[in-house]
Amino acid sequence: MSEAGSADEVCLLDDDVSVLNSMRFLLLAEGFKVRAFSNPEEFLAHASNNPVPLLVTDVWMDRVTGLEVLARLCAISPKTKVIVITAREDSAARATATAIGPIAFFIKPFDDEKFVAAVRQALA
Amino acid sequence: MSSAEHDEQLNLLQTITMEVAAAGDVGSALEIVLRRVCEKTNWALGQAWLPNKEKTLLECGPVWVCGGPELGSFRTESEKNQFPPGIGLPGRVWQSKAPAWIDDVRDDTNFPRAGAARKLGLKSAVGIPILSGDEVIAVIEFFMREPRHENEQLVKVIAAVAAQLDLAMERRFVTAELSRTTQILQSILSDMGDAVIVADKHGNFLLFNPAAERMFGQGAIHTPPSEWPQRYGLYLPDKVTLFPYEQLPLRRSIRGEEVNNIEVYVRNEKVPQGLWTRITGRPLREATGELLGGVIVCRDITAIKEEEFFRAGQSNVLEMIAADKPLIDVLTSLVLLMEGQAEGLRCSILTLSRDGQHVLHGAAPSLPEVYVKAVNGLAIGPRHGSCGTAMFTRKPVVVTDVMTSPLWADYRKLAEICGLSACWSTPIISPQGVVLGSFAMYREEKRGPLPEEDRLTNIATHIAGIAIERQRQQEMLREREARISLAAESADLALWSLYPEDGTAWMSEKGRAIYGFEPDAKLTCDSILSRVHPDERAKVKAEYDSECAIHGKFESEHRLLLPYGKVRWVIMRGRCLKDESGKIIETIGVTVDVSSQKQADLQLQVQREEMAHRNRVSLMGEMTASFAHEINQPLTAIANNAAAARRFIERGNIDPSLLQELLQALIADSRRAGEVIQGIRSLVRKDTSVHTRLNLNAIIEDTVRLVGTDIVSRESVVTTELDPQLPQVNAAPVQIQQILLNLIMNALDASEGLKPAERRIIISTRSDKGDVAEVTVRDFGVGLPKDRPDKIFDHFFSTKQKGMGMGLAIVKSIVEAHGGTITGENAADRGARIVMRLPAARGEIEKNKAAA
Repeated sequence: MSEAGSADEVCLLDDDVSVLNSMRFLLLAEGFKVRAFSNPEEFLAHASNNPVPLLVTDVWMDRVTGLEVLARLCAISPKTKVIVITAREDSAARATATAIGPIAFFIKPFDDEKFVAAVRQALA
Repeated sequence: MSSAEHDEQLNLLQTITMEVAAAGDVGSALEIVLRRVCEKTNWALGQAWLPNKEKTLLECGPVWVCGGPELGSFRTESEKNQFPPGIGLPGRVWQSKAPAWIDDVRDDTNFPRAGAARKLGLKSAVGIPILSGDEVIAVIEFFMREPRHENEQLVKVIAAVAAQLDLAMERRFVTAELSRTTQILQSILSDMGDAVIVADKHGNFLLFNPAAERMFGQGAIHTPPSEWPQRYGLYLPDKVTLFPYEQLPLRRSIRGEEVNNIEVYVRNEKVPQGLWTRITGRPLREATGELLGGVIVCRDITAIKEEEFFRAGQSNVLEMIAADKPLIDVLTSLVLLMEGQAEGLRCSILTLSRDGQHVLHGAAPSLPEVYVKAVNGLAIGPRHGSCGTAMFTRKPVVVTDVMTSPLWADYRKLAEICGLSACWSTPIISPQGVVLGSFAMYREEKRGPLPEEDRLTNIATHIAGIAIERQRQQEMLREREARISLAAESADLALWSLYPEDGTAWMSEKGRAIYGFEPDAKLTCDSILSRVHPDERAKVKAEYDSECAIHGKFESEHRLLLPYGKVRWVIMRGRCLKDESGKIIETIGVTVDVSSQKQADLQLQVQREEMAHRNRVSLMGEMTASFAHEINQPLTAIANNAAAARRFIERGNIDPSLLQELLQALIADSRRAGEVIQGIRSLVRKDTSVHTRLNLNAIIEDTVRLVGTDIVSRESVVTTELDPQLPQVNAAPVQIQQILLNLIMNALDASEGLKPAERRIIISTRSDKGDVAEVTVRDFGVGLPKDRPDKIFDHFFSTKQKGMGMGLAIVKSIVEAHGGTITGENAADRGARIVMRLPAARGEIEKNKAAA
């Protein structure tokens, strides 16, 4: 995290490194600035000191669930937009995520076009 | 002295000398001397004095002569007197050893018989000693009526005549001495128990003492020595071969040999019962060494010999017992042995039936068959003859007369027919106190047993007891063997023996059928091994060799491949018999045909595996979150990476290193997806029975990871407390994973009603003494049924809304198939604890002990 965050930078959070990297590659290919985190605490620390316009996060992660991250992010950076990705469609998770207000909700594996479109729209 | 007188005296001397020499004995010689001296020299009376045995007194000798009957009173007077040395005329002559002359005895102060002499008018007297060497052996005295002075010439003549006597007298003494010695010898010989026989060199008997007469039944018979064996009935120890005459001890001793301890059996008309004698013989020789004859001393050793034979007979009977001869033969030999010990003795042995109620014929070779047949099968009781009563009362029964004894009331007729009078019976009792039978003695005389007969009875009952008991044991053994072999025949059991030394083998009939051998085929260790299925043969052989060498026993379950392709499942169990040096001399054992059970087992196993498989498939249904996650993660990454690559290419902006990175990620994620699928496949695979050495801690961690997503999605926490010292187990990994998955899913289900913070599951492991690996899954949920926690392992038991109730039943069967146990219990505070214990793999125990 040597480089400071910028207003058009997308943050990615997933404890599965291969999934995390694949999303990073996808967004890089479309020319986005991307910052990837596999540890929620590190991301939250980053969000406390830098502008985070958009977070793409996995909902189920070890230790701290994605929902818990979203709740804390809401307190740190209420303006950050969130796109939620989950491996499993779970009505309770979707309800909670909706309550927090993500701008998009994707179930792995997801359609890359729709995903890229959602990111572009969020940053517009 | 005139010449005529001188001639007369010479004439006298000559006559007497001739006459004495011709005399047959001392007495007549003495008489001749006394008579001739009286006649020729005018003496009225002459008599002789002889010293007594002690040589302390002179006594009047038996011979005297006198000139008239009136002189008899002086003889009577003389016979009343005994003279010590120096007293009276004889005493004086005896002492002085010289002639003495008395002119007139009436005036002599040392003549005690003076009174008698005066009455008869005897006046002069002369005493002459008869000398043998220096010893006076007799004194002769003469008396005449007229007083006369000593006539020296006359004395000389008389002395010269008397000197003729000493030879005769001396011979008499020797003869007397000899006859005395002979008398003593005779009395010794006649009182002697040993027979003494003396024979001269021609074989004429010189001595045959009374003992010899008794021993040989007759005295000395004048018969040629070559006929001795026949006449006296002398036999070799075989009792039938006549003793060779030349070898007879007496014959050999006559020949000059010394013979020692020759045993001769004597039996003849006078000694019909026969007797044994042990003979020692010595030759008799002159001082010059010339053979005179021989003497033998014979000792009666019949008693010793009979005792010897009796003992040998007992040994023989005992040997028969040891050799397991038929009981009837043993008892018959015993009875005959006893009967041989006493004249007129008849014996019988009866045995008691197994029910203890009836007598059975044992042996009675000398009793009439009608009696034997009548007795066989009779009941025992308090008044049932001698034997029936003895067995009933367990005490000896002595009946001196069966005709009057109340015990024989029912059997009198029988006894009368058989000529029995006395019957003494003693029970035969085993050391454990069981009555086995009875031994009876019968006699024709009405009397009780003698001490010797009691002794025989003791021996007989003792030996018979051994024989009967042994036979009973043999019978029981045979029955048991028969039962065992019956059981073996009916139970698909093969009995076999292997003899590694020469490679031969034996197998029971049923065994041959199981192994597919012809009933008369010659078997070897190799031919038996050749029936083991080729796939297992090497393994079975190696196991057999090492197990027998180390443990001396062997057990193996394997297949047999019979001719024509039939396969049997068998369990083979053997035990080695070793010699002192530890070398295996024989391996005996059984083989059980378990094909039918095996078939059932296999079927059961198939069913069990089917059930387990269904359980695993249904488990996967419950683990959807985990599987979806596990599969979706790599698929998502693959899709994203592929899309990214496409987009890079579309933009014509390709950084080769970036593209390479993308492709690497694609490959890795594909592999990861493949591995997940592989894991799922392994869980749904049917054959999962391959065992391997496992670390349960690692499997637990893998499994917890596998269901991680489900745990998280159920907002539960699973923690592990794993013992690093846990021994490894030998198990099928997928089955263990299945067990753990079941237990974790159950624990998650049980925790469902709790608040998320309380949804905890603890999986712990520990080593129990190093030989058991224990796994505990503990939750804080609803707990197990209070009345019977173990009910959860029953089929179709379930506390859940969904589910078939098969999970834990399958878990239990898997654990048990691994030789382990699984139990359930309620924790003290709340929740349940399921404990699984699996035996440590071989080698683990030793390893752990060494580490400790």
